[in-house]
Amino acid sequence: MMNRLNNLATLQIDPSRKISFIYRGKRYYGLEGDTIATALYSNGIRVFARSLKYHRPRGLYSLDGESSNTCMEVDGIPNVRCENTLLKDAMEIKEQNVKGSLENDMMSVIDKVDWMMPAGFYYNTMHKPAKIWPIAMKQIRKVAGLGTLSPDFKMTGKYDEIFPTTDVCVIGGGPAGMSAALSAAGKGLRVILLESRPVLGGFFEYRLKEYKDGQSYHARAGELAAEVKKTENIRVFTHASMIGAYNNNLITGFQIGRESDCFDERYIEIRAQSVIVATGCIERPLLFENNERPGVMQTGCAMRMAHTYGLLPGKEAVFSIGHDLGLETAISLYDLGLKISCVADIRKEGQDSELVAQLRERNIELLKGSVATMAHGKKKVNKVTITTVNGTASHDYSCDLLVASAGLTPVTSAITVLRGRLKYDDHTGYFLPDQMPEKMHATGRVLGLDNALAIESSGRLAGLQAAFDCKAATLVEISEAENELGRLPGPSRGTKLVTAPVKGRKSFICFDEDTTIKNINQAIDKGFDVPELIKRFTSAGTGPGQGGIPGHNLPLYVAQYQKLPSISIRSTTVRPPIVPTLLSTYAGTNHAMFKRTPMDEMQRKDGGIFRNIGVWQRARYFSNDFSCKAEIENVRSNVGILDGSTLGKFRIFGPDAVKALERVFVSDIAKIEEGRIKYSAMCNDDGCVIDDGIVVKQGENDFYFTTSTGRAGSTIEWIRYHTRYDGWDFHMVNLTDSMGVINLSGPNARKVLAKIVDIDISNEAFGFSEYKEFQLRDTIPVRAMRLGFVGELSYELHVPSSYMRSVWLMLNEAGKEFNIMNFGVEAQNVLRMEKCHIILGQESEQRTNLLDVGLGFLWNRNKPEAKTVGAVALRQAESDQTRLKLVGFKMENNGRAPRDGSLVVDEKVRGYICTARDSFTLREGVGMALVEGDLTKIGTRLEIYEDECGDNRIYGEVVKMPLYDPEGTRMKM
Amino acid sequence: MALTITCPICGKRNGYEFKFGGEERGPRPDEKDLTPEAWCDYVHMNNCVAGVQKEWWFHRDGCGSWFTIHRDTTTNFEVEKVEAEK
Amino acid sequence: MFSKHKPLWGKKKKLKSSYDVVLIGGGLHNLATAYYLAKNHGVRDIAIIEKNFIGFGGAGRNTAIVRANQRTQHNVPLYKEALDLWPVLTKELDYNLMFNNCGNLNLMHSEAAMKAARTTISTAQFHGVESHLIDAKEAKELVPALNISDDITFPIHGAMFHPPGGIVRHDAVVWGLAKGAAEKGVEIHQQTEALAVGTKNGKVTSVTTSEGIINTKQVLISAGGYSAGLINRMLGIKLPISVLTIQAMVTQPLKPLLNHVVSSGAYHCYANQTLKGEIATGAHMDPWPNYTNLSTAHFIKHQAEALCEFLPCLKGVRFMRIWGGLADMTPDMAPILEGNNHFEGFFMNCGWGYFGFKSCSSAGKYMAEYMATNKCPDMLKPFALKRYEEHKLMGETAALVNYSPDN
Repeated sequence: MMNRLNNLATLQIDPSRKISFIYRGKRYYGLEGDTIATALYSNGIRVFARSLKYHRPRGLYSLDGESSNTCMEVDGIPNVRCENTLLKDAMEIKEQNVKGSLENDMMSVIDKVDWMMPAGFYYNTMHKPAKIWPIAMKQIRKVAGLGTLSPDFKMTGKYDEIFPTTDVCVIGGGPAGMSAALSAAGKGLRVILLESRPVLGGFFEYRLKEYKDGQSYHARAGELAAEVKKTENIRVFTHASMIGAYNNNLITGFQIGRESDCFDERYIEIRAQSVIVATGCIERPLLFENNERPGVMQTGCAMRMAHTYGLLPGKEAVFSIGHDLGLETAISLYDLGLKISCVADIRKEGQDSELVAQLRERNIELLKGSVATMAHGKKKVNKVTITTVNGTASHDYSCDLLVASAGLTPVTSAITVLRGRLKYDDHTGYFLPDQMPEKMHATGRVLGLDNALAIESSGRLAGLQAAFDCKAATLVEISEAENELGRLPGPSRGTKLVTAPVKGRKSFICFDEDTTIKNINQAIDKGFDVPELIKRFTSAGTGPGQGGIPGHNLPLYVAQYQKLPSISIRSTTVRPPIVPTLLSTYAGTNHAMFKRTPMDEMQRKDGGIFRNIGVWQRARYFSNDFSCKAEIENVRSNVGILDGSTLGKFRIFGPDAVKALERVFVSDIAKIEEGRIKYSAMCNDDGCVIDDGIVVKQGENDFYFTTSTGRAGSTIEWIRYHTRYDGWDFHMVNLTDSMGVINLSGPNARKVLAKIVDIDISNEAFGFSEYKEFQLRDTIPVRAMRLGFVGELSYELHVPSSYMRSVWLMLNEAGKEFNIMNFGVEAQNVLRMEKCHIILGQESEQRTNLLDVGLGFLWNRNKPEAKTVGAVALRQAESDQTRLKLVGFKMENNGRAPRDGSLVVDEKVRGYICTARDSFTLREGVGMALVEGDLTKIGTRLEIYEDECGDNRIYGEVVKMPLYDPEGTRMKM
Repeated sequence: MALTITCPICGKRNGYEFKFGGEERGPRPDEKDLTPEAWCDYVHMNNCVAGVQKEWWFHRDGCGSWFTIHRDTTTNFEVEKVEAEK
Repeated sequence: MFSKHKPLWGKKKKLKSSYDVVLIGGGLHNLATAYYLAKNHGVRDIAIIEKNFIGFGGAGRNTAIVRANQRTQHNVPLYKEALDLWPVLTKELDYNLMFNNCGNLNLMHSEAAMKAARTTISTAQFHGVESHLIDAKEAKELVPALNISDDITFPIHGAMFHPPGGIVRHDAVVWGLAKGAAEKGVEIHQQTEALAVGTKNGKVTSVTTSEGIINTKQVLISAGGYSAGLINRMLGIKLPISVLTIQAMVTQPLKPLLNHVVSSGAYHCYANQTLKGEIATGAHMDPWPNYTNLSTAHFIKHQAEALCEFLPCLKGVRFMRIWGGLADMTPDMAPILEGNNHFEGFFMNCGWGYFGFKSCSSAGKYMAEYMATNKCPDMLKPFALKRYEEHKLMGETAALVNYSPDN
């Protein structure tokens, strides 16, 4: 392990707490506070990854995850960005995308044949002759991709989610963000502050430069952070990155948990009134030959390596920079013991004079108007060529560290994903906010500011602006703050140099996709002349780091190559997630939610096999015999009991209740008598049947009706929709969950029910199609209906959910002597199919209308004033013979029933099988099918095509419906 | 995009509480002498405006009312009525 | 391939004052139509008018899945031909469209879904398209990452396996067709906006663009999600179309993990692995019309929830990028292909919803025939607008679609 610098106030590591981890099977040690990359670096590791295409060695370039340079496999998870992932005890770390080792990758020969792979070369190769493509593709797939994920991989850890609401959300916990949070909180508003690093402070945090009156930036950051922490109405999320920003200020992010937290990562979705973007800057990479060689790193990275992690990143360094932060870094690292061969500054002038003086004091050579053109060294930098920016004079410097940075670039993703607009600013060389999204404010370095006092001042201003969005009276203070900011130094001049004077064969504009500036030239020559097209053609900016590395340089370079004026430079598109986010983090707790009926538990005990049906779970079978023979025969010959609680159940009442029902039901609702039940259906405006159920009149303008299980959730919406212009006075109550339904069916049903009721339920007193209300044991209110869905004597009992269990037990107790049995949804399906009672969705598809399924008898066509939904279309389509119509059929020669969903064909497809079974009751294969009009005549032969049948067909014959008990005597007995 | 909708009863809420109910088309036409073309126009045809449109919404996870708003389809922001009718 | 790099679809040209045919929209359907007009019918005086750049819309935003397992006999042959055309076009255009013929696996999560799949599979087999119903264990053999246990929200009952389908590199199709069309003389005018279509006595006469007026007798509007709005604005023709945002996203790149396209209706989710190694996924739509192309927080979260259930190993993967595109949905999930109906010389090709990519080659081929002969080819006859008036919606979806109030 390298020696760490100590006695630095800025350190975030704890030298007293060693952490052990495994890298490539060997044990290593880091310190608490280390990231995986800094721990590896302290153990002498310099090559962290191999690049995607050319397998070039890649090193530590930044510490904020802008590229895939430090992507490794950690505990089985691929593509972990080690540079900003905290080290944890016993982590297992492996390299990825190498053949051999990171040091010696056999695939690295590809780097030498890059000339064979110009931009878009895939499109022009490997397809001639056609048969080589599949082989080539297999090889491409193998070499593509970075990490490996096992199909058996099991994610561990806890993933949480929260959805807070706040007045102001501040993105970025640096000096501007903290000042903004404090000023908004000072107006009494609730503030959420997100900071992506584990500590607050931003770019003040790791700098020891003097802020004011002997106080360092670092100390100032601490002061602000302490104030933020003690402010009760600021909720701080550290180690929490913003990942998305959406209309009306919905901000998403995720937080990485500490050891004391109950989660490893947690998804955060914040609805804010106002948002402040205080995301600061990242560095703009410098483009030169081998600009991504291990040993090349950005200024912020070099600075934080030393100040945050106590690691001097090299022994002897060359600096090639374009801004004062580069000078400050050189001075600061020199003072910590780094030898510096020279500092090449792109700028010919405009350096901070004090910094220049400090360099001079230290005898550090400053080369103004110079830049690195090439990094030498096979796997690590050992020499750098520095030339003047116009490429005239050059000189080589040996070194093991090249700190390189062209300039800075504001992090504006929160603004652009919300369609805010940026404008290229000639003074700073930045893309600066031009048009902000509604109720969003940029502050600090995002505005190009670099003076510390101005940054804080602009933060306070943004806080007041956000407070104004939240209706706080801050107008006067806003103008004061604007004046204050106006008196402080504005943005300083930035450098616009994009590339060193090079040809660019090995100058990488995008590290992740191995895109060089030569590739960009090729793309433009081919007609891909706008950055978005170039991105698609060269893949630049589409790798794991997204736009982090090429984002700023690409549009600048494209403009430069095409000699376009800088006014035409547009920033490239940024898309969420701003930070790559684990699927398990997005998924969070992910509760699966199904509704369960009151009988759920008892039916499971009875061996029910459950299935999801819409929002419910229902018992489909009661044995492993999925033909349900026993259940079916029991209902036909004895008595069965079924839980029908998922049926939609509604009350509708009020002066205009009848009108509303007349609008949506095809029948004449006004004619329904009390004590009778009316089976009816609803259509949509195409006449297609969408629902069926029964309607019961319970009083004047007061009805109880049922819907199918699937429609229950949208029935009120449907009725209100189709009456929305009418201003009618009626009310609806959805009773679906508060009422349960028991279906008692079979020839012995009456005997069972009679044992528990004290009213006369003889066929004379309570006949078919009749409705009765009574109480069980003088307590339990029951609504009973004589229905015949399964074709037998049958009672449907609607009971308050809280009493369902009691009634169920009473019936089972009463039915014991008859051996009453459960039956499930599949048995019911077969029973009703034999009776040719339809189930919508099964005997109908989207385009099936009321007449197609033979329910035309329900339609009362003499009520045009009701404007019944579907009536117009039914009238218009009435005579259309090409529609698919429902028929019953039986199989020829006692053959087996076809599988559901098979086709009816001749030369063409003529229809399909809706439901068909080998009927135990009828002792033959029967079913229902939707077929074209000319096939509906009784006796028509149906040619049935099943999947995998080849040339074989089976045949059925259209027969009269219903198939079972055509006179209906059994359900009326 | 993260839609919010202002329900006349419940106020401004997350768009996912609501169900979209189509462009405003006016009350159901009289059935008498209605041609298939006119009926199809009423039932199926949309203006597909790139801009502000008047449209129906249902507060499904709320009060259960149908109401209209004006929304700019190019931004997904609700627009004040007065502004919309300019 | 080592020669000097030349513009792939010709140098920028000045817009002429007249063309035989003007195609509005620089997406796949118009590029294909132009290509086939020139190749099969000798019509070469064609201008493609594109407001942005070619492939800006759905062509560059879809997840590149191709298949021919539609539900009805009217649709299957069109998609089958499109599927058969990928290798042919690769050769003809001399441009590698990178057809990865990996097959599609459509998961079924209930008995009812298995039945519905059987109708689709039988229809495919009846038309000579390979497609099979397989059980959950067989599905797991094809995609070892699948969770076929009962402990997920929608346990997997089986799947529809459709081997001839797969993935095609969508950008390559755009550029390849543009190259092919340009080589035959078609002019592609990017950054040119169509502003109006001129008509006189029921006939098309001109197109007004941001770069000038073009005299022409034939105009085809096929502008993906923008079609319905444009057609209404320019010609006053209303269509049964709702324009919705459909989103897709990719994870960071991985070594080969998924060897087939996997999809699930119950989870509203599909996933496939691109040649670059990313897992591309998408599906469900936010059901309100808009033209924003913006992604939503809700959607990416939903997608993660779904994938974490049926492909649980993906919990350890990161989403990297999400984007949105527009889908022009019709009530019956089938397109509208129409010509010489409202105005002589006016053609439309729209309403593809999210099927526009997989159908582009065959639809373009037949639209070209339609325009060149002024006779509707049999293949396109079922897709006339009239069907909505006749209450004869096509049966592409078994169940009612969810985005309209009318269900």
